[in-house]
Amino acid sequence: MYFVLRRKSALQVKIQWGPMCIYFPPTVGAGGGNDIQWCFSQVKGAVDDDVAEGASGIRFLTWKWGAVHTSEADIISTVEFNHSGELLATGDKGGRVVIFQQEQENKIQSHSRGEYNVYSTFQSHEPEFDYLKSLEIEEKINKIRWLPQKNAAQFLLSTNDKTIKLWKISERDKRPEGYNLKEEDGRYRDPTTVTTLRVPVFRPMDLMVEASPRRIFANAHTYHINSISINSDYETYLSADDLRINLWHLEITDRSFNIVDIKPANMEELTEVITAAEFHPNSCNTFVYSSSKGTIRLCDMRASALCDRHSKLFEEPEDPSNRSFFSEIISSISDVKFSHSGRYMMTRDYLSVKIWDLNMENRPVETYQVHEYLRSKLCSLYENDCIFDKFECCWNGSDSVVMTGSYNNFFRMFDRNTKRDITLEASRENNKPRTVLKPRKVCASGKRKKDEISVDSLDFNKKILHTAWHPKENIIAVATTNNLYIFQDKVN
Amino acid sequence: MEFKLEAHRIVSISLGKIYNSRVQRGGIKLHKNLLVSLVLRSARQVYLSDPCPSLYLAGPAGSRGAAGVGGGPAGGPAPGSSPLKKPRRNSEEQPGGAAAAEEEMETGNVANLISIFGSSFSGLLRKSPGGGREEAEGEESGPEAAEPGQICCDKPVLRDINPWSTAIVAF
Repeated sequence: MYFVLRRKSALQVKIQWGPMCIYFPPTVGAGGGNDIQWCFSQVKGAVDDDVAEGASGIRFLTWKWGAVHTSEADIISTVEFNHSGELLATGDKGGRVVIFQQEQENKIQSHSRGEYNVYSTFQSHEPEFDYLKSLEIEEKINKIRWLPQKNAAQFLLSTNDKTIKLWKISERDKRPEGYNLKEEDGRYRDPTTVTTLRVPVFRPMDLMVEASPRRIFANAHTYHINSISINSDYETYLSADDLRINLWHLEITDRSFNIVDIKPANMEELTEVITAAEFHPNSCNTFVYSSSKGTIRLCDMRASALCDRHSKLFEEPEDPSNRSFFSEIISSISDVKFSHSGRYMMTRDYLSVKIWDLNMENRPVETYQVHEYLRSKLCSLYENDCIFDKFECCWNGSDSVVMTGSYNNFFRMFDRNTKRDITLEASRENNKPRTVLKPRKVCASGKRKKDEISVDSLDFNKKILHTAWHPKENIIAVATTNNLYIFQDKVN
Repeated sequence: MEFKLEAHRIVSISLGKIYNSRVQRGGIKLHKNLLVSLVLRSARQVYLSDPCPSLYLAGPAGSRGAAGVGGGPAGGPAPGSSPLKKPRRNSEEQPGGAAAAEEEMETGNVANLISIFGSSFSGLLRKSPGGGREEAEGEESGPEAAEPGQICCDKPVLRDINPWSTAIVAF
């Protein structure tokens, strides 16, 4: 038995003994799920990603060096596909919701899936002022969650820091014409001129999409709402702020039940806050909430009315060798998402993504490093506030791949089966449809290879916090500061 | 030594962040301020535990501010002496001629301020013997009825150009 080492390329060595061989390091291919090749599909939003720090909340366009800069109001703050994937909603800092609809596939030209085009735009929340506390309430949309479709209309919940709203989005493509007593413009006819009976009929009109607020759930949160989650019973939902979680019924706006309250009697003793919460996808009595200390608590609403005592506590002991001033900050969980199956949940902290098996509380079953090269830069990231960025994460439809964002407009995908990962960039440079995205690589230290980017040249203003994956297909929506990118896998 | 400098820098940055959080739109963010106060506490612990005898300013020992430096690490210098002077060591501008008692009280209050930020989240209660620091982190209880702003401006420390003081004056 002897070993043969052959250098396959600058990146790879083949180790062979007898008929067996392995490659080291493992193939760094297009990665991300059975070697999917991701292609650019569309980009929505302003031409330039630069955001001018304009007067807060006021939307204006300014000309600067020949390029159009948009104001802070256009910063995308949430992205969410609906249950069928046909609709894609975004919320922004200015309180607006924009919904895109996928075109019906052209069966003949099936080289790509349908494009997403604007379906509806509406102002969901306005800035408010709390006079009692002299506090301004931001109109920024923190989260959007879709209800499953029950009839012709679509429903979604959108929330800012204090108020949750249920919006109905309905189509109108017919209108009644030929009233007996009214003119076409609505004015009433002179009764003496009405000599015949005419029954109005519906005639087709140009499609109009209307959004109307059907419920407003207000005045239930003292602290800033960070999450909403619709229960699998499709009748109730939860809303979570820093210290409390409330349970609502979709039909009832004037009261909610408080199901978690971690506010200490003495605020001086506060040590942790709630950072995210979600209902289990199948069990309508189960939900989880994550904390700033890096723990996740699973609660069963059947156990008691106030679920302050968790059923399960998920926590991984800290690695003492990684201790620093900022250990506590980077262990704070910014997002928690159940897998579609309900068997696993994923958490995102500053540097990593962790997959937990609901049956094992003492450590995650999988951990993926998103940008470990930032660990030595934590002090600078603290100074420029980047360490407080709240990255989200998402699952693909089959729970085999997870995705999350990073800096420099990079986003990462981790294939749970093949253990491969890939880094891609959302940039207008690759903006021809069906252009395959080239994998990117960050050089942590030492010699920078060609096409690699060094840590020091990363742009920390270009961050991808919000990503979403189509529930059934390999279509992803990635939000940069104020652009929305849509990528698809290559269809042959 | 470099840990001390680093810790001092981090404390300054953290105080700046807490101050800025008061003026930003949308109200105080509880989560971020909690994390900043945790960093502040860690930095303070490192700061107080890093033994650098050469940095101690001379001055008679006094126990006035010592009581406020709660939770100091074991094995630290005798109460009332050096630890109180530590926060001042960066004040090159500060003439050494300041009255010892005054200096002691100033540093004691600064250390108390750190202990307020570090070990407790809301500085509303009277933790420092000097009092008048209620406003220190009053914004943390913004969501509840916060005390109207009481700027602590009646202490000599505020007239200094010590960077610490500048940060505190901001409150």
